Amino acid sequence: MSTSHHLTDETLLDYAAGSLTDAMETLVACHLTVCARCRQKAQLVEAVGGVQLIGGDSRPMRASARSVLARADAHEPAPGATAIAARSGRAVASQGVASHGQVPRPLQRLLPVPLDELPWRRIAPGIKQFNLSDEPRRNGAFKLLHLAPGVVLSGHTHNERELTYLVQGSYQDEIGRFRAGDIADLDGEVVHQPVVDTDEPCIALIATDSPVRYTGVFGRLVQPFVGI
Amino acid sequence: MGDALVAIGRDRDEQAFALIYDYYAGRIKSFLMGKGMNEDTAEELTQEIMLTVWRRAESYDPGKAAASTWLFTIARNRRIDYLRGNSRIEVELDDEMLDIETTESDTQARFVANEQSAVQLEAALDRLPPEQRQVMHLSYYRGQSHGAIAKWLDLPIGTVKSRIRLAMQSVRSHLQGGGDALDRNDYLDAD
Repeated sequence: MSTSHHLTDETLLDYAAGSLTDAMETLVACHLTVCARCRQKAQLVEAVGGVQLIGGDSRPMRASARSVLARADAHEPAPGATAIAARSGRAVASQGVASHGQVPRPLQRLLPVPLDELPWRRIAPGIKQFNLSDEPRRNGAFKLLHLAPGVVLSGHTHNERELTYLVQGSYQDEIGRFRAGDIADLDGEVVHQPVVDTDEPCIALIATDSPVRYTGVFGRLVQPFVGI
Repeated sequence: MGDALVAIGRDRDEQAFALIYDYYAGRIKSFLMGKGMNEDTAEELTQEIMLTVWRRAESYDPGKAAASTWLFTIARNRRIDYLRGNSRIEVELDDEMLDIETTESDTQARFVANEQSAVQLEAALDRLPPEQRQVMHLSYYRGQSHGAIAKWLDLPIGTVKSRIRLAMQSVRSHLQGGGDALDRNDYLDAD
């Protein structure tokens, strides 16, 4: 998959540092799956993290290496039986739908059914959503949006960060044209108004740090329903 | 340090573990506390992280990551597990949507992902202007947004972001072009 809109260095850095929410991590991991270039940048900032650790301060440990090892002997698990078990915690019933060619695994794990069987909820003409978060709206949104051809979203901006990963279809806004695999990595300085620009419905995964701010009266009126 | 990790994985070498522990445990504890954890919790979690290092050292591949990178990612991921109760979300390398890397970018990947390149990376970071180094350091050592870092440094957020971008650009160009020769000069100077 060839992508033309990428993650910013700041977001890659926050991802490497472990400072993003799990919603944001999901979007970053989706784009990294389909973009070798960003994956390499991510690898670099992870190595920078290692160097920061070397150069960082040290706090005295109360326990010695020996006493920590004594704990290891006390309850030694079988070698290798570690991280993989913890990882499956999030997985829903998605294991069986792995052949669904357009959804990267980090998103697939969150879907209860394949993408085309999702119980979308209609929120405005031409706009449907599937919510991926139980968090209150003030903590930001995490959801899939299904936009019909020709739909124009209200012009809006964000307080801190909004990530949009294009799962299917395309849209255009002031920044450019976004297609499947692209990520829009936006901050509070950008005001944009996406328009779905082909006959194909557009499916976008979005996560925000805080509710978006609409720049027009209509947007402010529909915001309580759209919930982003 | 990579050798010590290999020795732990291969021979269950307790002396090698003590070496890693004495160098890294205090640094990891400081990293956790810098990101807002209290000392008791940071101590406890660091001990668990070091136990994870002991148990998982077999999976360490010195050709794929510097010891510092490997330890950093374990510490970061365990912190996330602890705080959030679910695992960090990462690319799955057997994902059929995985984009295969191009030849052009392979050079850089090879450059980054081993012990030797960590030394070059350290040199590249060392030569950044102090204000860029500071913002980079805070990005890893404060569990907060760039907005919070900007407020803390009393700078516009745009300035914080541009410092990060400039820092990453010079690190990348240092690693890609001529970094090797320059580094050697550095070491000669240091002697």
